[in-house]
Amino acid sequence: MNKRKWLAAGLVAVSALALAACGNKSSNGPTAKPASMQSTYSATGPANGNNSTLKVAEINDAPFKGISLAVLQDNAEDQDVYSPGGEDQLFNNDKNFKITDGGLANQRLNNSAKTDTITLRSDAKWSDGSKVTARDIEYPYEIIANKNTTSQQYSADFTDIKGMAAYHTGKASTISGFTYPHGQNGNQLVIHFSSMKPAMKYSGNSFIWGTVAPYEKLKNVPIAKLASADEVRKNPVFIGPYKLASQVTGESTSWVPNKYYYGPAPKIKHITIQVVSSNNSTAAFKSKKFDFNMQTAPSSQYKNLKAIKGYTLVGTPALSYGYFGFNLGHFDTKTGLNVMDKNAKMGNKNLRQAMMYALDLTKTYNKLENGVAWHANTLIPPVFKQYYDAKEPGYNYNMSKAQSLLKAAGYKKKGKWYVQPNGKPLTIYYGVMTGSSVSEAIYQYELQQWHKLGLNVQFTTGKPMEMNSFYSTLQAPKQNKIDIFDAAWSLSSEPTPTQLYGEDAPFNSGHFVSAKNTQLMNNMNNSKAFNESYRIKQFYAWQKYMNQQAAYVPDEFSLNYTPVNNRVKNFNKAAWYITLPQFWDNLGLTSSSMK
Amino acid sequence: MWKTIFRRILIMIPELIILSLIVFILAKAMPGDPFTGSINPRSNPAQIHHLMQVNGLYDPWYQQYWNWVVHLFHGDLGTSYEYQEPVTTLLMQRGANTLWLGIFIVIMMYVIGLPLGIYAGRHENKLPDHIIRAYTYITMAIPLFVVLVIGIWIFAYGLNLFPTSGSISPTANGFWPSVFSRFYHIALPGMLVALFSTVNIVQYLRSEVIDAKHSDYVKTARAKGVPMKEIYRHHIFRNSLLPIAAFAGYSITGVLDGQIFAEMIFSYPGMGLLFLNAINYRDYTVITVLVLIFGFLNLMGTLLSDIILAVVDPRVRVE
Repeated sequence: MNKRKWLAAGLVAVSALALAACGNKSSNGPTAKPASMQSTYSATGPANGNNSTLKVAEINDAPFKGISLAVLQDNAEDQDVYSPGGEDQLFNNDKNFKITDGGLANQRLNNSAKTDTITLRSDAKWSDGSKVTARDIEYPYEIIANKNTTSQQYSADFTDIKGMAAYHTGKASTISGFTYPHGQNGNQLVIHFSSMKPAMKYSGNSFIWGTVAPYEKLKNVPIAKLASADEVRKNPVFIGPYKLASQVTGESTSWVPNKYYYGPAPKIKHITIQVVSSNNSTAAFKSKKFDFNMQTAPSSQYKNLKAIKGYTLVGTPALSYGYFGFNLGHFDTKTGLNVMDKNAKMGNKNLRQAMMYALDLTKTYNKLENGVAWHANTLIPPVFKQYYDAKEPGYNYNMSKAQSLLKAAGYKKKGKWYVQPNGKPLTIYYGVMTGSSVSEAIYQYELQQWHKLGLNVQFTTGKPMEMNSFYSTLQAPKQNKIDIFDAAWSLSSEPTPTQLYGEDAPFNSGHFVSAKNTQLMNNMNNSKAFNESYRIKQFYAWQKYMNQQAAYVPDEFSLNYTPVNNRVKNFNKAAWYITLPQFWDNLGLTSSSMK
Repeated sequence: MWKTIFRRILIMIPELIILSLIVFILAKAMPGDPFTGSINPRSNPAQIHHLMQVNGLYDPWYQQYWNWVVHLFHGDLGTSYEYQEPVTTLLMQRGANTLWLGIFIVIMMYVIGLPLGIYAGRHENKLPDHIIRAYTYITMAIPLFVVLVIGIWIFAYGLNLFPTSGSISPTANGFWPSVFSRFYHIALPGMLVALFSTVNIVQYLRSEVIDAKHSDYVKTARAKGVPMKEIYRHHIFRNSLLPIAAFAGYSITGVLDGQIFAEMIFSYPGMGLLFLNAINYRDYTVITVLVLIFGFLNLMGTLLSDIILAVVDPRVRVE
């Protein structure tokens, strides 16, 4: 997917069962592997069912919001239920999320002129037949940066576009960094930057917005009121293979082919996408109510879903990961920088590493997650094939090494627990969010292992915290209630981690700062990094360095998977992430009823 | 009576003001804010800070409360932070769904409960009475969410007789297909909730019928040779309805309270589910309005019950 896939904050996607079976033997083998699962499925036989309805489930426990305009969406549910409309997607991408030609528009980066020229294809039209124009490419930037916007997308990276900062603060009424070689109704937009970044070549980067918005249709609606406007909620237009036929607010959307779509003619006559609660999703597939689902199916349901006849499980690595973070300092609100405190309780690298070596997450995930989630080895998930370092060992269980690391750092046992090198007692507070019974069992296992190591680790507040409380505590500029925490990020399709772990990143909740970290992350987007192999090297080096420092340690990767009914043709889960319109325009059905 | 009703309504005003204050303060005291839940690696905290400022969420609570009251008197209930549309629009959408389900449940509760209560009372300590009482005890003992889960599993997923989620089919077009689809969607949750919520009606009615059966006026009527059927219709039934009337007001206003369990399990987007999500997402504007509405409905329920009781029972006068 070329856009941001949001963090449902607090959704640590761990799910497993009881942990009693997790032994204490050393497991020095390689990090766990995901379940073998195909990423595509295509029913054999002619597409005889194309005149029927493709039924898609949106697994979610709340109604979707109903915002169809991609630039205003801040959640995965709206993206999913409006995705047959193409999610206003501007560019095609390859499997590495690199922007390629052939989509609604092509882009040409010019490093010397510091420009990006975006050219729309000649047959680019909205689903009402009107032309997609250069102004439609520019309008999302106005929506994002407008001072009255309800969008949360504006970030400092946009200030690389000339005139963007002035528009954002209200000093200018237009953004000077956009020019229209063929006029606003033409097919070309040139974006002028103050500096060029290698990330610009990839979808989901934070410099170039990857969707369009129908300016002519929206221009009379104040930007502050766009999210509630009928043009966005009731009568939206789309650029993708299907157009909205009807919708029931918060419940379902219904789609028919869009004859103005620029790509190959969509094959299925009718598509419905309906919200189904996570508790009922497996039963819904058992009773053949849906062909496939949009959000990933729960990992705990893997065996049940696999056993359903007439379906095939299809999945790809998710654009997300779970991680442990350690509180090492504070965020200086005056300077806007993270600062590591010299005497931070978790400041000793050996202590952090020892805590990680004490956990046998490989065995835990192998045993309990059915391969749908597995022990992560780096902070770059494997969905980023070219940047993910599969050989990086990560932290594998080794209790004796954990003990020796503590002793080497001067920690001594006094009775049951280790005390600090200065002799003071050591109580470590572990902050986690409430989740499924399974994830809470994993937290208990982690406590058990740390106790076995001899560390007095306790839950902050004595139990897992409600999500809002967790983030309120963690995001305070300075806090001492959480020493180690477990959380998760869903990522954009451009993996530069600066906004999570940079010195000035407010989401660097552990406040880890080092010159080398800053340098490695800067290297990912310096001018040399236009050379792909150099950039890959920087990503590899950063993953290695972060593992060594153990300030943030990955704990979980997962698959995004779904059962697919055996009547569906050309289902490509990877295409879902990469080029949404193609995902939908390829789909076909071999029969009018589910198999 | 009208004077009293007017006075009761006047008393509601300070009650609602106090309620709104309490809710407002408690909502603000909850940890978190409406925007944190949607942060992502590209989120800009400065933008979130900006949105908090624009929405006045950094203002002291009394200032926020005052702004809210001023907007309220201008007919503006605010905008939902989560759904990004006016709270009134949300309430209309969800309220309509809840109304359909709620009315269906109330009607079914009385349709099932009244005959069962009378029948059990009339056949006191006979087999039908034992069966009906056993039914009420069982329905009272089993938690509603268990019933709903088993119900959806058997009737919707197993037998495929009912839809499993939503309030209407995505393919329902036209007036009658839409009406039919709505009924089809509320039929299973509505019936299950109604079947397992009749205990009060049945038990109150049964005991009232038994009491009435042994009362002097019934004995007199029987002595005069009035047929039992007539006695039940004209004497026992009306008198036995008094306790039912006492909570009829709550039943009517409670229609809009929402059925949280049914709405969650059947993914039915009503007021109950909206309230639950609003709390999870710290959607302050929605929380405040919903609690006020629920509070108002409760107060109205009390008043309505008193009025109904006064109408049904000539001995009772609202003074």
